[in-house]
Amino acid sequence: MSDTPTSTSAKVLSARPPLWRDAVVLKWVTQLFLLFIVLTSLWFLTSQAGDNLEARDIPSDFNFIERPVDIQLSEGIDTHPDSGGRALWVGMVNTIRISIVGIIFATILGIIVGLARLSNNWLVNRLGTMWVETLRNIPLLVQIIFYFSVLTVLPRVTLESGPINGWFHISNKGISMPRVFLADGFYQWLVVVLIGAVVGYYVHRHRTRIHNETGTITSPTLWALAVITLFAIVGIFIHPIFSWVGSIFGALASLFDSLPVLVPQIVLSGVALVGAAMWVRKFIRKHRSARGHLSLVDDDWFRIIFTAAVSIILVFVFISWSGLSSWILNSGRDLFEVIESKFNVDGAARPFDAMRPEIIQKGKFPNYGPSGLTMSVSFAAVFFGVVFYTSAFIGENVRGGILAVPKGQIEAASAVGLRRSQALRHIILPQAFRVILPPTGNQYLNLTKNTSLAIAVGYSDIVQVGTTVFNQTGKTLPVVGIWMLFYLSCSLTISVIVNWFNVRMQLVER
Amino acid sequence: MNEIENTETSASTRDLSNAPDMIVCEGVSKWYGDFQALDDVSATIKEQEVVVVLGPSGSGKSTWIRCINRLEHHQEGRIEVDGIELTNDLRNIEKVRSEVGMVFQQFNLFPHLKVLDNVTLAPIWVRKKPKAEAEEQAAALLERVGIPEQADKYPGQLSGGQQQRVAIARALAMEPRIMLFDEPTSALDPEMIKEVLDVMKELALSGMTMMVVTHEVGFAKEVADRIIFMDDGQIVETGTPEVFFSNPTEDRTKLFLSQIL
Amino acid sequence: MSDLNITGVEGTVAIKPPPETPKLPPREWLKENLFSNKFNTLLTLFSTAILLMISRGLLSFIFNPERQWGSTATNLRLMMTQAYPEEQYMRVWVSVAVIFTLVGASMAIWNAGSRVTLRRLGSFLLSSGVVINILTLLAPFSGQAKLIWLIIGSAVAGAGGTLLRVSDKDKNISSLTLVVATLTAAILSLWIVPFGHHSFVFERTPRSMAETGTVALTTKLPWTIMVVIGILAYFFGKTMTSRFPSKNLRPTIIGIWFLTPPTLLYLVLRDPDFDMGHVLNTDIPIFLIFAIAGGILLSWLTRPTTGEIGRVCAALVLLAGFGMFFTPMRMIIRILMLLLATFALAAPTFAGDSKKQRRYVLAWIGVSGIITWLVTAVNTPSTIEVPGDFFLGGVSLTLLVAIFTIVISFPIGILLALARTSKMPIFRILSTWFIEFVRGIPLITILIFFSIMVPLFLPKGMELSEVSAIVIGYSLFSAAYLAENVRGGLQSVTRGQHEAAEAVGMTTSQKTFFIVLPQALRVSIPPLVGHCIGVFKETSLLAIIGLFDILYIARNVIPNQTEFLGSTRENLLFVSLIYFFFAYQMSKASQRLERRVGLGER
Repeated sequence: MSDTPTSTSAKVLSARPPLWRDAVVLKWVTQLFLLFIVLTSLWFLTSQAGDNLEARDIPSDFNFIERPVDIQLSEGIDTHPDSGGRALWVGMVNTIRISIVGIIFATILGIIVGLARLSNNWLVNRLGTMWVETLRNIPLLVQIIFYFSVLTVLPRVTLESGPINGWFHISNKGISMPRVFLADGFYQWLVVVLIGAVVGYYVHRHRTRIHNETGTITSPTLWALAVITLFAIVGIFIHPIFSWVGSIFGALASLFDSLPVLVPQIVLSGVALVGAAMWVRKFIRKHRSARGHLSLVDDDWFRIIFTAAVSIILVFVFISWSGLSSWILNSGRDLFEVIESKFNVDGAARPFDAMRPEIIQKGKFPNYGPSGLTMSVSFAAVFFGVVFYTSAFIGENVRGGILAVPKGQIEAASAVGLRRSQALRHIILPQAFRVILPPTGNQYLNLTKNTSLAIAVGYSDIVQVGTTVFNQTGKTLPVVGIWMLFYLSCSLTISVIVNWFNVRMQLVER
Repeated sequence: MNEIENTETSASTRDLSNAPDMIVCEGVSKWYGDFQALDDVSATIKEQEVVVVLGPSGSGKSTWIRCINRLEHHQEGRIEVDGIELTNDLRNIEKVRSEVGMVFQQFNLFPHLKVLDNVTLAPIWVRKKPKAEAEEQAAALLERVGIPEQADKYPGQLSGGQQQRVAIARALAMEPRIMLFDEPTSALDPEMIKEVLDVMKELALSGMTMMVVTHEVGFAKEVADRIIFMDDGQIVETGTPEVFFSNPTEDRTKLFLSQIL
Repeated sequence: MSDLNITGVEGTVAIKPPPETPKLPPREWLKENLFSNKFNTLLTLFSTAILLMISRGLLSFIFNPERQWGSTATNLRLMMTQAYPEEQYMRVWVSVAVIFTLVGASMAIWNAGSRVTLRRLGSFLLSSGVVINILTLLAPFSGQAKLIWLIIGSAVAGAGGTLLRVSDKDKNISSLTLVVATLTAAILSLWIVPFGHHSFVFERTPRSMAETGTVALTTKLPWTIMVVIGILAYFFGKTMTSRFPSKNLRPTIIGIWFLTPPTLLYLVLRDPDFDMGHVLNTDIPIFLIFAIAGGILLSWLTRPTTGEIGRVCAALVLLAGFGMFFTPMRMIIRILMLLLATFALAAPTFAGDSKKQRRYVLAWIGVSGIITWLVTAVNTPSTIEVPGDFFLGGVSLTLLVAIFTIVISFPIGILLALARTSKMPIFRILSTWFIEFVRGIPLITILIFFSIMVPLFLPKGMELSEVSAIVIGYSLFSAAYLAENVRGGLQSVTRGQHEAAEAVGMTTSQKTFFIVLPQALRVSIPPLVGHCIGVFKETSLLAIIGLFDILYIARNVIPNQTEFLGSTRENLLFVSLIYFFFAYQMSKASQRLERRVGLGER
């Protein structure tokens, strides 16, 4: 508020009110008072917890991540993890796995349910309503446990070929079916497909331009898809030529290995400081009038100070916590090494392979073998639980979204001569999608969080593994911290993706 | 229009030069980000004076009168209302708010309260009046604005003109010394405008200090003591209605008048 | 965790009234709705197949001779009240009677119930009779049972058909009459139909026992009395309505409704041998001191002339209350001090003439009295001879946790929502962080955290039972979701409302309390009801942390009884039914309420 423009009249100054009646002063005093109370309470509680933990001789550190633990997991990428950290990692992968599969199937089922609820067919309509009303009024946990108890009374698995010719096995050990899996050559093949995608993009642009110039129907999307498919098919045969790509990642890995810890520290600090500075500059520029007058109210000042403080705290954290930097370096190196090894395969490897489930004898009872796609009973219970439950809610969103498109829109579309299918594609769906997307994104978040109920049926998700870990080590607080961090990053990821779509949809609309 | 020409009591014939100052603005400026809404606005409004503020949309008229009620904060200059300066001083803000009544374009009645409660709420809780007294006064005010029979209805059940009259009664219930009107008739259907303007006219004749932002030229000609014309956040021209409408000096004023008349 | 925050969307969808049954002759109706074209016919056949498969599967599950439905029947009490001692059951029945009385009276006072045309009743009966017959044909019944059910189904259908044919177009009866008739029929059936008498007999070890005949007297007699009480209360309510204006009656009943849960909990949980000495020499004096001193302070603060010095005073009280948490002090004093500070801070909002002052002081005395009483009730040597936390369980635990969670999370949620929409950046940041943090993590992690960690966070000498700790955690969780619902309502209050309130001179707190919150809460009723249903449903998570809620009993307790080994699915189905019944009724009621309040109609 300091630099004033030249004013025609004499500059008039107002008298300042006394402090205890000044609205601005009171506003900030109240806020700081509350901040003080919150911080003191937090400090009080944590110090209490620290003392109590000390008294019970359970220090809250993260040692258990590297120490060996005695945990056997029911399923996952590693059923006998050698350390607490590895065990939690397996749990995270299991959570992510069931969430992604669940989201895909819940969406498909949800759309079907939503359309059924809109159907003119009385019976289909009623079925949809029954589905929705039943599933969303029974707690998910009850449903999961019910599915579990139903699945566990299925007949036992036998060594004879399963019920359907050895392709499908449904038993109290789970559900098993053949699968296609990614074989060694997949990543090389992926490079070919990526090149195909780039070419396809240009083809799409080219065809669109022709359409715009001449008005002939050029079906650009079809062309682009055809190009990508062509590349994908050709790639199956020629992908070994890309085995050299691995050496790029190898070089990156050795680069990360050789960097000193200081580099990421400096880079991170630089990003924090420069980012804050740029934000402040942009902010100030936005608040400066054409004549150069800067008008900042107290809230604006708070924002600037807050940004600066956060960036300085971040720099402090980066510098003082060298573990973070070395972790970044190490995991970067590991990541690139893994990618390198993915490319470093026999030239004859295929991108895909298929497998039938097989049964092996293990101990007294036969068990599923490593091949085929196997859903354990716990996985199946959680999977059906979250998919059915979420489908009811997504179905309601779909129905609401389509009903939310005003009738006038359909009339207008037919008035300008669009066919029904065209109206659906260009008019109704884009608008309905915009309404459907945000609540459905919310449902995806809920589904991810709901998979934590897996603990009730013994599926090794992060909560179940974490409970086992802290029961063994007594480190409850760190494990809970890891849980929260994990779920917060999952939520953040999903919100970012949904928001990205959301923004795109709104741009499309304009 | 004819009726307006015929009325003989034009407030503009009054001599107010000896009346005390009610609103004093000196060099008031305000910015929204890099947009300057008010640019060095200075004006003095006397007691019992009726001022009509004219100007194209976006010229800062509304911002100005909202600053006088401290709904917006001015960033430079000083505003004094009835001797109270508008600063961050809580006591001053409270005082000024109860001195100044405001009527909005969109009425802004409280939809969850009955008409009577709309009018009595502020006297009871802000003026700390006993309920019975406040209700008595509210009944009288509703009588004055011509809708005594609507007291037990909800605002949603009234027509726009009736709602705006309730809004005027609500503002009057605080016994203000100044009334501000922010385009009170712009959201109304043509047939309802007159009933609101009649109430405002009656108010002006009763000696209330008024500041009115409006596009109703007829009302301005008939009732106003002074016209203030604003453009681009500045006061371009002031004058009595006779001079302003028949003989404007500034080019911008002439252009504006040619567009609206 | 849940569906807590999407109900808003449902709500807007659900407002549409169901389409009127078209007045087409049956054949045309079928053609129109089921077989209008080839695709439609295919869909119809397909869904008929699905429907038949589902009903057949369910029926053959339920009526399988291997099913141990006796496990559910024998353990009904366990599922409702867990280990509540049998000789104290009178208290539970009294509580249920109080609720029946209130329901009956409220129905009369709010004039509940609508008219149902006899034709609609007839078509309902007809279709249910047909459905019963179809299901009977599908079910794996023996010949005799099949015949009996077919006769029942045909009788119902016949009654419906006759009603449909005989009755006039607009002849109708009250839905309340129907409800009473159904209830009476149900109660009569308890006395007549041989449902069988299942119970545990305790001779050294508990042993289950099943007799033929009607249900036990200890079941049918109390329920008969309950229904009679409910009906009597209805007529009592009717006479009250004719005596007193509903303007006074309704707030009274609402107040009683709010006081009922704590009163009943106190009634149910209090130790029979509890001696009043502690209450007389400690709790009541503390309350009196606070009531009198606080009353004097507040009557001074609500004087219009007090001015700013009052704010300083209130802030000092707040500081003192806060400081008490760092000094050894009785919990009740700390709580009352904070409450007094809240009242003192709010005092200028409600300042006014002597009548208003008096009312404010009375409100203070009332609220502090209730709080003192609640704290006393919680601290009272509660109950009952079963050790540990686990004398409470079953449906009563679910209700306890759900009610307390909702009641506690309401004010917190509203405050969070106000903070999140406020103009004060620090408030906004803190509340946004809290809300987003809580909403980002699953409920189960919070419950595990609170059940294990809360004892560690408490200062020495302070203890909290596991149930209380969980209620606190659950309330914080629920408050975050509730805040988002309320925020939606707050944002729907237009800027003009704020400005109008400011322009008539209201302070920020007056504006919030008189103008903004009433409008915002009204808009958020549907999502809030949805939220309450969610809270109720998710009390099932208590089973995971090992509390004896109904799900835990059904899954882990009953299937381990020697007589009923492995009867998990039967009991789970029963639990689903209970949850479904309550949740479905609540959501239907909220839709009715929504239609009745007429949202959007301003």
